[in-house]
Amino acid sequence: MIICRPFRSKRVMPFLGLVSLLLLGGIYFALSVHQHARNPKDTTIPNLQQLVEGFKKTITPSQRGEIWLSVDLKATFSRLFYGLFIAIVLSLALGIGMGCFATLEGLLSPVISILAKLTPTAMLAVFFVIFGTGATMFVSMIVFGIVPSLTQSIFLAVKKVPRELVDKAYTLGGSTFEVIWFVIFKQVLPVFINSVRLSIGPAMVFLIAAEMLVGDAGFGYRIRIQSRLLNMNVVYLYLALLASFGYLMDYALKWLNRRLCAWYSAG
Amino acid sequence: MNKGMALILISALFFCCFSQAASNSAAPVFSLAWSEWPGWSVFGVAHEIGLIDGASGKMGPVEKQYNVDIELKEMEYDPCIAAYGAGQVDAACLTNMDTLPCCGGRSSVAILPNDTSNGGDMCITIGINRVEDLKGKTVYGLEKSVSQYLFSRYLEMKNIPENDVKWVNMDPGAAALAMQQGNKQYEAIVVWNPFCLQTLNTRKDAKVLFDSSAIPGEIVDMVVVAKDSLAREGGDNFGLAVVDTYFKVMQRLEDPKTAYQTLVMIGEKFSNLDLEQMKKVRQGTKYITTAEEALNFFRSHEFTRTMVKVIDFCVSHQVIEKAPVWGGGDYRYLDDTDMIFDHTFVRRIAEAGKSGKAKP
Repeated sequence: MIICRPFRSKRVMPFLGLVSLLLLGGIYFALSVHQHARNPKDTTIPNLQQLVEGFKKTITPSQRGEIWLSVDLKATFSRLFYGLFIAIVLSLALGIGMGCFATLEGLLSPVISILAKLTPTAMLAVFFVIFGTGATMFVSMIVFGIVPSLTQSIFLAVKKVPRELVDKAYTLGGSTFEVIWFVIFKQVLPVFINSVRLSIGPAMVFLIAAEMLVGDAGFGYRIRIQSRLLNMNVVYLYLALLASFGYLMDYALKWLNRRLCAWYSAG
Repeated sequence: MNKGMALILISALFFCCFSQAASNSAAPVFSLAWSEWPGWSVFGVAHEIGLIDGASGKMGPVEKQYNVDIELKEMEYDPCIAAYGAGQVDAACLTNMDTLPCCGGRSSVAILPNDTSNGGDMCITIGINRVEDLKGKTVYGLEKSVSQYLFSRYLEMKNIPENDVKWVNMDPGAAALAMQQGNKQYEAIVVWNPFCLQTLNTRKDAKVLFDSSAIPGEIVDMVVVAKDSLAREGGDNFGLAVVDTYFKVMQRLEDPKTAYQTLVMIGEKFSNLDLEQMKKVRQGTKYITTAEEALNFFRSHEFTRTMVKVIDFCVSHQVIEKAPVWGGGDYRYLDDTDMIFDHTFVRRIAEAGKSGKAKP
């Protein structure tokens, strides 16, 4: 067998993907059947019927008159998108600034590399003091969690921009701002999109962990309370939603990268 | 990767999932999940002083006496619920309330009431001096837990509609932390020990508005065993050994000569509270110290009434969808019962105590 050789037909890869997904589903339901054979009342690895019940539970209004799924989707995703948005703007500014100006690099790079090693989940107490326990806290946790690494990767990408391109732009009469916008930013964009794609996972981790401790809505909250009550049918449904959201985001950003930066092959 | 490798990997995966841990030792192994709590740390202490050996495959004197191998598994409280519910352990230390969601999926037998909360769960407030003043305020605590039960029951006793006070979910550790840091938003929290005492130590202006001594005997910490585990060979002996172990440690806690040392051992891992603080924790946790007491507790009308209240709360607060089939008595004669409070184990230990010789 020779390595690194692609299939001739384009259909093989999606087919293999489907096989692995089916296998995953198969293993799950085999486990479920096994667990139900041991204990017919089992709720920890729900079967299809239990999963449907769980789904119904999440879309029918509760006693408080709220529909779990819509409340949680709203809470979690508004936090996530605010956090990601701020993080993206901040790290773009920081990363490009550091890459372009030696003063900024000198000032910021030690701080950034120290912060990159800290997990916000371990610093919950600090976040309480600075940001309280409201929406700001969730957003700031995401921002602090992903900005350092995102900044670092943008900074490194800026450093990799070929010197000749910058010189050329200057000799053609570009202003500093124009060089940054038309040369640096355009060159960094694909790497940046890729890094954002890879940051969504950690951002979710920080957010869910925070929601498990604080707050009365959101995916983390629901997963914690429902797993305490062993309503795993609800929990698995939420996990599946999280996974498919992650997959969609991944796909969307890959697509965006191909679309915006067709010249950059490593999408 | 070739097909052979893939096959081996997949079969290894299946093997891991489905194989039961086989044990060659003569005595059957039963696992007990416990978390740090004054009433449950007793089992950790029993291991440390050598009454039992918590490792699988090793046996202490009590285990030898009953010819059963007790495997202690220490974890956080929430994982105890999960591990028990998923059938990963035979028995777990749970409260009477948290057993209810489990028993729907796994028929359960409570064999031992360890202690009742007698002040160990508190509503702590800052600047709120009367329960009536809670109206319109927000109270923070873990939703669908004993904290919310205490809160709901107390308001009910004071004839305050529960809807007048807003309950917002928060992890007890996080809620206590937020209050200790002086966050103005946190005027009232309901948490359990050690968070209560930590908060009271840090915030001198904090006040205990009410605590679980207002509902004595309603929050019960117990040892719960799955019915099918009890039915396994040696299951009865496992139950007896657990109960016997617990009361042997209780004897040491009651004996003035060993009380101090035992209390320190119980408190060691519980939190960074000193002996004086641990004495307060001890007051907040009313131990059931003898098998006779446990027997009377399980058979009392108060306990039955308590369970009715707890189940009502659980159904009305969507902790469970419908009340389980539950009852008290020997589990062997209670088919189709999801939750059984079986007093026969403590009774047999009480009788053995009287005759001076424990009978396996």
